[in-house]
Amino acid sequence: MTAAHVPPAFMPSVYAPPPRPQLAGTPGMTSVAVQELFPSIGGAIYTGDTGDLGAVRAATLDALEKVDMSRIDADDSVNILASEHGFALMGGWAYAEMIKTLREVVAERTKCRDIRLRLAMYRGFREAEEVRDHFGFDDAFGGKVKGLGPFDRGVAVDTAVGRMYLVNRAFDADKFVHAYYDDPREVYFNRLLYKSFKSFCMSYARFETRSVYHSHFGSRSGSVIPRALFDSDFIQQRYTFSSVLRTSPAGVIGIDATTDLYAIDRNITAGHLATYGRMLRLFLEIDDCVAVWDGGRWGYYLHAGGMIFGALLTNQLDSFDLDIPVVAGFLQVPGESVNFTRNPALRGLVINQAWVGAGIPYVTMPITSPVYIVGDQQAQLWREDPCNPLLRDRATVVATVEEALTLATTKGGTDKVIVFDGSYGHITCNEAMAAHLRARASHVEQLVAGELLPKWMAQRGLR
Amino acid sequence: MARIDFTAQLDAGPCTGCRLCDLVCPSAAISMVERKAVIAEDLCIGCGRCVDRCPEDIMWMVQRPEPLVKTVGRDEVDGAAVDALLLRAGIEPEISVCVCTLTSAWEIAAAVVKGAANLDQVSEMTGMRSGCGIYCVAPALRLLQAAGADMSPPKGHRWYPCTVALWDLPAEVSERYADGLIDADRNSFDPTRRYRPLTEDAQA
Repeated sequence: MTAAHVPPAFMPSVYAPPPRPQLAGTPGMTSVAVQELFPSIGGAIYTGDTGDLGAVRAATLDALEKVDMSRIDADDSVNILASEHGFALMGGWAYAEMIKTLREVVAERTKCRDIRLRLAMYRGFREAEEVRDHFGFDDAFGGKVKGLGPFDRGVAVDTAVGRMYLVNRAFDADKFVHAYYDDPREVYFNRLLYKSFKSFCMSYARFETRSVYHSHFGSRSGSVIPRALFDSDFIQQRYTFSSVLRTSPAGVIGIDATTDLYAIDRNITAGHLATYGRMLRLFLEIDDCVAVWDGGRWGYYLHAGGMIFGALLTNQLDSFDLDIPVVAGFLQVPGESVNFTRNPALRGLVINQAWVGAGIPYVTMPITSPVYIVGDQQAQLWREDPCNPLLRDRATVVATVEEALTLATTKGGTDKVIVFDGSYGHITCNEAMAAHLRARASHVEQLVAGELLPKWMAQRGLR
Repeated sequence: MARIDFTAQLDAGPCTGCRLCDLVCPSAAISMVERKAVIAEDLCIGCGRCVDRCPEDIMWMVQRPEPLVKTVGRDEVDGAAVDALLLRAGIEPEISVCVCTLTSAWEIAAAVVKGAANLDQVSEMTGMRSGCGIYCVAPALRLLQAAGADMSPPKGHRWYPCTVALWDLPAEVSERYADGLIDADRNSFDPTRRYRPLTEDAQA
């Protein structure tokens, strides 16, 4: 058995417990390479633990060369809008590199002098400053860096679906650049249906708009909300172009940049169905397992082989099949209860380290999957997290991760362990899980290539 | 029902009166007295947002001696009125509107029927928004709107009246965004077509 790859380093944060050694460095853990499982998923230019940021910069320069920036005048003010989850991808440095390169190119091409960075954060009011300092954005932007979040002052925007509210600070310039990343993330919510637009009803939006998107629409019809916002006069008068950090489960694969966000979205969707579609389906082949949170962000969004933990947690149905009305979410078919955590294959969760709630509720998770928190200090953070009262009450606190794994696998009746530690290009796991994934991959390859992918593509009008 | 274990406290001495804590408080538990923040602990639902927001770092959370339970019981309101309000708003009674506290739509509607006149009061009566404070907001606002509450946004930016739902979208939106599967979702989530657009006529 080969030792596991070292996962990407993560940003220190006030929302995190004190860092502890990661499982990837302990005996019994190994890595399964994404391309070993699925050779059809091509290589990457950057994975966080391998690769050169220079390749990300070169890809950004290359992509921007063809972009029409004529909507930006020299005397305009321009906000580059960045969203926080980009800084969770492979340690965040690739996304940061794209953003810094964007600024340089826009300044050089347009002669614009007033280029600001706006960091859209989910809920933590101190996170923007952490990101700014960690990635050196003050230097890159001459101090013109500000954070924004859902509780900040809003601005009314009239759309085809009615009046919505965005965050004023995101649009306090003449123009803006949509600086995005294509992590499919919550596929059970976004269904890969116009995912590239989601920031317009989430990162850049007030909490009321976010709530409408999540609570008043299904996961298919919800795709109308961000598009209606993007298509609004308010946005179109300010929008210049988009630059997107492209990924696959293998890592960063390039940059896509153009004024036509719809075109970028079609590229991303087609690519994701072929690559992440295989990984998600492979997760569905896991009959039983214990998962471990072992990284520097919210556990729900920690990656293994490019898929977030939330995709495993909710992975009881095919999220990409648009004939299925709801996989997880708020609106439910009458008579069916709301539940976000229905995957019976998840027999236990070990929290070795992750940010506490800060707005990500895992409230029903401890009902369906036993949760084990490593260390009293970390457990105290969860006890004080108002987002997760049931987790606080029901989790078992253990002294060491080894003890937690023994308890979780024994009580869960499984020998398979998968670790969500931010890894792309490979999955950190134990040997039993590695053997299972290898054994099921060829079946998944045939199923996706021969049956599922054509259906998913056709449902979205893609070929 | 929400169990509130913590409350916010502060050292008012260095408080600059910036009001940032007040603006993010979901239950209007913070007021300004002589340009200093004052916390009404009986109204505080323990979300901790003020502590995170305070630029002076002079606020903190403490455990309450006894948990504060926030709930509106079924015996406190006219159940038929609650059901009628939910139907008018187009919200299923049993869904967990607040996914942090698992507070049901029925209980939030009950708070409105009981007399909550705005979002702050719904939060204070039920404990919703004591967690993330985000996803439960639109259904609560829609229930208030359906009950005929004054939806004028308060001074500052505590909340804005944003309540559109699937049932409100006109046919031209379904046509413009045909691949958004609006009609398919309507058929799935409201197969018997009980829900109507929340127009002014539909409000109480």
